[in-house]
Amino acid sequence: MVEPAGESGVSDDRILFGQSAAFRGPAQELGLNMRLGILAAFQEANEQGGVHGRRIDLTWLDDSYEPEAAATNTLDLINEQEVFALIGAVGTPTSRSATPVAKAAGVPYIGPFTGAEFLRDATTLDNVINMRASYYQETEEMVNRLTTDLGVTRIAVLYQDDSYGLAGFNGVRLALERRGMEMAALGIYTRNTTAVKRALLDLRQGDPEAVIIIGAYQPVAAMIAWGRQTGFDPIFMTVSFVGSNALAEELGEGGVGVFVTQVVPFPTDDSLPVVRAYHRALANHDPNAIPGFVSFEGYLAGRLAIAGLERCGREVSRACLFESFRSAEPYDIEGFRLHYGAGDNQGSDQVFLTVLGPDANYHPAATLRDVPG
Amino acid sequence: MTAWIQRRLASRYRISTQLLLGIWGAVALTVAAGLVGWFSFNRVGDEQSRVNEGSVPELAAAFGVADYSSTLVAAAPRLTTAPTLEDVARVAISIDEAYAALEAQLAVLERGAAEDERVQRIRAHADSLIANIEAIEADMAYFFDLTERSAALRLELADLRFRLDSVVIPAIDDQFFYAMTGYRTLGEPPAPRNEHFSETEFSSYRRLAEMQADASIAEQLLASASILSEPALLEALRERFEAAARRIQRNLAALESDELRAEVAPVFDLLLNLGIGDETGFDLLATELELVARQRDLLASNQEITVDLIAEVNSLVSAAQASVEEATGASTQAIFTGRVLLLAISAVSVTGAVLIAWLFVGRFISSRLQRLSDWMRRLAGGDLETTVELSGRDEIAEMAAALEVFRQHALEIQRLNLVEKLANELQSKNDQLETALGDLQRAQDQIVSQQKLAALGELTAGVAHEIKNPLNFVKNFSEVSEELIDELKEVLDEEAESISEDQREYIDEIAGDLTDNLGRIRSHGDRANHIVHDMLMMGRGSGDRQSTDINRLLDEHARLAYHSARATDTEFQLDLKQDMDPEVGELEVVPQDLGRVFLNMVSNACYATDEKRRSGADADGERYFPTLWLATRRGAEHIEVRIKDNGMGMPDDIIDKIFNPFFTTKPTDQGTGLGLAISSDIVRQHGGNIRVESEPGEGTEMIIELPLEPPAAALAGAGDGDGAATEATSL
Repeated sequence: MVEPAGESGVSDDRILFGQSAAFRGPAQELGLNMRLGILAAFQEANEQGGVHGRRIDLTWLDDSYEPEAAATNTLDLINEQEVFALIGAVGTPTSRSATPVAKAAGVPYIGPFTGAEFLRDATTLDNVINMRASYYQETEEMVNRLTTDLGVTRIAVLYQDDSYGLAGFNGVRLALERRGMEMAALGIYTRNTTAVKRALLDLRQGDPEAVIIIGAYQPVAAMIAWGRQTGFDPIFMTVSFVGSNALAEELGEGGVGVFVTQVVPFPTDDSLPVVRAYHRALANHDPNAIPGFVSFEGYLAGRLAIAGLERCGREVSRACLFESFRSAEPYDIEGFRLHYGAGDNQGSDQVFLTVLGPDANYHPAATLRDVPG
Repeated sequence: MTAWIQRRLASRYRISTQLLLGIWGAVALTVAAGLVGWFSFNRVGDEQSRVNEGSVPELAAAFGVADYSSTLVAAAPRLTTAPTLEDVARVAISIDEAYAALEAQLAVLERGAAEDERVQRIRAHADSLIANIEAIEADMAYFFDLTERSAALRLELADLRFRLDSVVIPAIDDQFFYAMTGYRTLGEPPAPRNEHFSETEFSSYRRLAEMQADASIAEQLLASASILSEPALLEALRERFEAAARRIQRNLAALESDELRAEVAPVFDLLLNLGIGDETGFDLLATELELVARQRDLLASNQEITVDLIAEVNSLVSAAQASVEEATGASTQAIFTGRVLLLAISAVSVTGAVLIAWLFVGRFISSRLQRLSDWMRRLAGGDLETTVELSGRDEIAEMAAALEVFRQHALEIQRLNLVEKLANELQSKNDQLETALGDLQRAQDQIVSQQKLAALGELTAGVAHEIKNPLNFVKNFSEVSEELIDELKEVLDEEAESISEDQREYIDEIAGDLTDNLGRIRSHGDRANHIVHDMLMMGRGSGDRQSTDINRLLDEHARLAYHSARATDTEFQLDLKQDMDPEVGELEVVPQDLGRVFLNMVSNACYATDEKRRSGADADGERYFPTLWLATRRGAEHIEVRIKDNGMGMPDDIIDKIFNPFFTTKPTDQGTGLGLAISSDIVRQHGGNIRVESEPGEGTEMIIELPLEPPAAALAGAGDGDGAATEATSL
């Protein structure tokens, strides 16, 4: 049978996805784990006969978390490699430079690993399909927890001086404004450095009860370590993008009590069917792989893309994929439910709270009172 | 004049002489025309070779020089825009080719007019053009080297930016934190306050911050320089870069902490070296810009040289064109002269030919040949009486004499032919007469024979009728006599006792003999009666014509004949084979008569085959089986009935007689000899005929032909026959 002419990346027997992410440099853990999760999901689908008879393949390019590279990679993936859709991009500044390129070409941009608010504006970026909750939702949940669980009144922010940090900062600012609260202190550090000590001095000025950090795992770890060294030990909270596992490793035993909000369920909680499916797919793809938040998010993004394609049937097109993500019918990935609709391009609103224990491992936390040890 | 010529021509050999004269005259005229043509072409050729050897190569070379110099000028910018050295080499090869071609064209020009100033100027322009291109080509390797190095410089600059961020910013951060808190290393206790919160430490922080700012400025300056295209602005940027570099070096030297200096110095050294080191940074960029400017100048100069060169070439071309035009004019003149001469000679030739034709051929030969031809035509038309005579002693007169001889011979032959023809005609008439006589005699014989047969027929009918009455008496009285003998026997039985036994036996014996005799008389009377009946049947039809299926009629009577034969001889067997044509259909015939014909013929066939069987035909080993073939065919005008057997067959002398009445080959008590005579009669009455084909020992075939439409005469004849029979019966 001949396919309807010319949907790029779709051939008789396969559909090609493209990923531009950091596979080198300080943020490489994020890119590599996203890819691992996506590949596990794709392999799982392919071993079950693919999507309506088509194999799902992934091709990728490294952008080292640099916005310029992300833009050129996206052009390359769309024009040279002719991918059907983009998936699993990592980072806010990189997505910011890549999405205009994808939008101009009408290429789907599925499950980026970022909670930046601008990607959630479905009217301007109608080609973006988000899987996870936004930074606003993560920071809102942090402020909510701090005020309701502990009655905290003095909240400070440390953020990385770029669009990612700014997104988190704005989230906290709005959450505080909603409660009529003032920000206790503000610290900023330069992106791609660990120079956080001057920021630490700034934060100390405000004597906060809690510090919400929007940054990368190395400077965040440096911040917490130096803070605790110098007797500055408020409640440290950070967002999922930090790269939870890398942060835990960097902090070691000194990370006890650091809270991290997550946008996916706890990846070792195998009471959930979706976690069990993830474990099976991951072990099948790479027996040595250890489950983690990022690869789990990658797996979920991969599953989401496959679910969207399944709805299209054999006649796959980008238009059809967009259409299936505008319908109000929810997606249910083994119990993990995602809701889309007209004007809503974000599937999950769920935020999960985790805390680092003395064993340098994360533990699910129902409230901020669940301080381990 | 004409008379004189005719007189001159009247003598022998003059025709051939005159012809020779005429041909020689024509040849002389042709040779003259050829010479004129030769002369003209020579002159044209001379002019042409002047053009070919002189002006044309010069012209071509001038065009070539213009062409190849344009190629060279066009190729030069391709050198400077070639993306790789390989591409440069490729362009260089094409330039070398164009250069070699240019040299060749120049050599041609110089050979033609070395002392010509124009040529010398062209040579000079070409040389400087080539020198320019060689200079550009020589620079290209250097240019690529520079391009590569400046690309590397940009990459290093990007890398340096990252290193400045990752080294200097944390260093500043650490220094400030230390100055404020006393903490230097994670996990170690802080320094005492008088140690860290000091002027020295804050001064170090200030120097680091200044150095970061200056490094940022220097890096920006170098980045701007790398995308500059105007060499003049480069020096201004270099000036400011050097100022920033001096400030960085001053601050670096003033740093109190050796440790700190060791940490940050390498990255600043790298920056300064990148900007103002040897053969890199600004030096490199300046050299690159210089080279680009030089190439631009060379290309511009090339353009100017080409303009001059082409102007020179154009003037050279104009000169060559003028020379060509002059030579072409001379050629045209020569062609014109030649043409006029050729026309004149052609006119003379035509006049000569007309004179020869008119005087000699027309007036003399032609008229005499015409007379000769007239005589010949008359001879051919049969007029052999006119004498052929022509005066003179030439070939035509000889032909006339020969013709006269032919005429006389022909006259003689004509006479001989006439005699022979008459004799032949006589012979043919004789033959015709003899044939007619023969036919006449045969017809006479036939008539006599038919008359005999007719008389015989009449006689037979008359005799039969006369014999029939006495026969009736014989038959009737023999029957009465038998009854009388029976009565006699009854009387004797009544009077038995009055007669002795011996008498009685004697009387009985006589009575038996009488009865036997009377039986024989009756039987032979019946036989005689039968013959008479057959005789009366001859020559009369016994019924009316009616539409009859011939195939069925043949079949029925063949079977009847066969069964009759079987009735008399139960051993007799016959294989009956039929090949009936269904197209034969129905015919207007007298069915009883025609049936009798078929019955007769099949009976004869049965007899002939039975005879053959009895004579032991299968004694020679092969089994003989009597076979009869019946066949019918429909033709265009008649039908054909064939009755064929494989019986004894007949010799020709018998065949001649079989239709005669009373002729038979059968024993006396088995045939009357009238069957075939009657059959022949019946068929003739139907307007048909019977043919016989027979081979002794092999078999006989009787072929009966009956017309599809019975002729009126035959019908009338049949009517006559009836009448005759009726008449005969009444006698």
